[in-house]
Amino acid sequence: MSLFEKFEDKSRLLKGLLEQSPRDPFSVSMDEMLGPTRAMVKGKEIVLAGTNNYLGLTYDEGAIEAACDAVKSSGTGTTGSRFANGTYAGHKELEADLAEFLGYKHCIVFSTGYQANLGAISALAAPPNDVILIDADCHACIYDGCQLSGAETIRFRHNDPESLDKRLSRLGPEVKGKLVCLEGMYSMFGDVAPVKEFVEVAHKHGAQVLLDEAHSFGVFGEGGRGVCERDGVLADVDFYTGTFSKSLASIGGFVASNHPELEYLRFSSRPYVFTASPSPANVAAASAALKKISTDSSMRTRLWENAERIHAAFTQLGFELCAPASPVIAVKLKNKEEAFMAWNVLMENGVYVNLAIPPGTPNAASILRLSVSAAHTNEDLDVVVDAYTTLSQILAKGAA
Amino acid sequence: MSGIQEDDDLVFHKITSLLEPLNEKGVKLTRETDIIADLEIDSVSLLDVVMDIEDNYDISIPVNTISEIKTIGELVDAIHKIKKEQS
Ligand SMILES: Cc1ncc(COP(=O)(O)O)c(C=O)c1O
Repeated sequence: MSLFEKFEDKSRLLKGLLEQSPRDPFSVSMDEMLGPTRAMVKGKEIVLAGTNNYLGLTYDEGAIEAACDAVKSSGTGTTGSRFANGTYAGHKELEADLAEFLGYKHCIVFSTGYQANLGAISALAAPPNDVILIDADCHACIYDGCQLSGAETIRFRHNDPESLDKRLSRLGPEVKGKLVCLEGMYSMFGDVAPVKEFVEVAHKHGAQVLLDEAHSFGVFGEGGRGVCERDGVLADVDFYTGTFSKSLASIGGFVASNHPELEYLRFSSRPYVFTASPSPANVAAASAALKKISTDSSMRTRLWENAERIHAAFTQLGFELCAPASPVIAVKLKNKEEAFMAWNVLMENGVYVNLAIPPGTPNAASILRLSVSAAHTNEDLDVVVDAYTTLSQILAKGAA
Repeated sequence: MSGIQEDDDLVFHKITSLLEPLNEKGVKLTRETDIIADLEIDSVSLLDVVMDIEDNYDISIPVNTISEIKTIGELVDAIHKIKKEQS
C-alpha cells in the first residue's frame, strides 16, 4: 500500500481537527442553490459569503439567456482543443472583446484560469537560460506553471519590490529571458500588490511581467480592468492573465498582451493544445458578463459599499483583519483549532465562509476568508454581521 | 581546509538557528536531519526559511534546488555551491 502512505501522513494531521468538528469544512455541498448569495446546506438556508462571485453575475438574466441560446445553437460541448476542432466563432469573438476591453492587441482564451497561467508560464520560460521570479504568495497554478516550464524559479518576498530588485540584480549574464509573476489582489488575505513599483523594477532589469488579475478583474480600476488599471500601468504589463470563474461568472481563462509573439502560445502551450476548449455555454456567459461589466459600473460600486460595510463592522467587533478593506475580508484566528470552531459557529448562524489553514496559507495563518458580492443584499449582510457578532462574543468568553 | 570546515559550521549554525523555532518536537538537529520528515514542518514553511537564508547570504536559491533537498547537510552544501557561483 506504499502509494497511499503519504496520504495517511497528511490526513492524520487533519483527522484530529475533523473529529472535533461538527461539520466538515472541506466537503460542504450546496444541496440546492437559491440564488447568487443563498443556498440550502443540509436543510438549512445559508448566506454564501465565501465565493468568488464578486459582481454577483452568476444569475444575470442576459448571461443565462446567452448561455441557453449557445447550447441550443452550438451544442453542449466542443469535444476538442482550441488547437484542433474546438475553436468556434464564440471563442474568437470573446478573445477580441477581451482584448478590446483591456486595451491589448492580443488575447488567447483557455479552458480555465488555472490553465491560462499554466499555459502562459510554461510556454514563455524554458530551461536552461530563462528564469522565473514569483511572488512567494502566488497561487498554486503559477507555481505549477513554473514546474511545468522547468525553468529556474526564484521566489521574492510577498508584495516587496525591493526583494524582487535584489533577486534580479543577482542574475548572471547567462540569463536570457526573465519572467516576473505576481497577482493583483491576492485571494486569501485580499491584499493588493504594488503593481506599478513591480513593473518599474522588472523593466529596469529587462524582465517581463505576468500579472494575474484573477480576483481583481471587474473589481479594481475605474473601468474594472484590475489593479494595473488603478495604478495606471495597464499598458506596461507584458502578460495579463485572468479567469472567467470569478467576476465573469463562468468557467475559462485568458492571457492578453501587446506582444504579437503571444500567438506562439497557440501551438507551444500544452495546456492550450491538449485539452478541450471551454463549452459554448461558458463562452457565451462570459461574453455576456463582459458586456455588462464594460457598460455598467453599478455592480462595482455596490461591491465596494458592501466591502466597506463588512470591513468596518468586523473592525468594530475587534477582529484581527489581514488587509485594508477589499472584497476579500479575512479574519485571523489564533490557531487551527480556533479557526475550525469559529467556522462551525458561522455555519450554525447561517453563514458560509472559507476556512483556510496551513500549509498553503500565507505566514502559516489560520483564517476565515469572507468575500463580499455585489449581489449581497442588506439582509444578507445583516445575517453575516450578526453571525460574526455571536462569534466575537464566544471568542471573548473563551479568552476570559 | 580548516577554513572550509569553519565556514561550513557557520552556515550549519545559521540554518539550525532559523529552523529551531519550527522544531516543535525538540529533535536534535544534525547534518542528517530530514527537514520536512523529522521536523514535521511543511514544504511552504521550508520555503520561507530559505527566504531568510537568501537574504542573510545575499544569494538566490531556486525553488527547483530546494525541492531536491532533504537534509540539513544538503542545504548547507547547496548554499556553499550557490555562494561560490553567485559571488
Ligand atoms: C490567483 C488565481 N489565479 C488563477 C486561478 C484559477 O482560476 P480558474 O478557477 O479559472 O481555474 C485562481 C482561482 O482559484 C486564483 O485564485
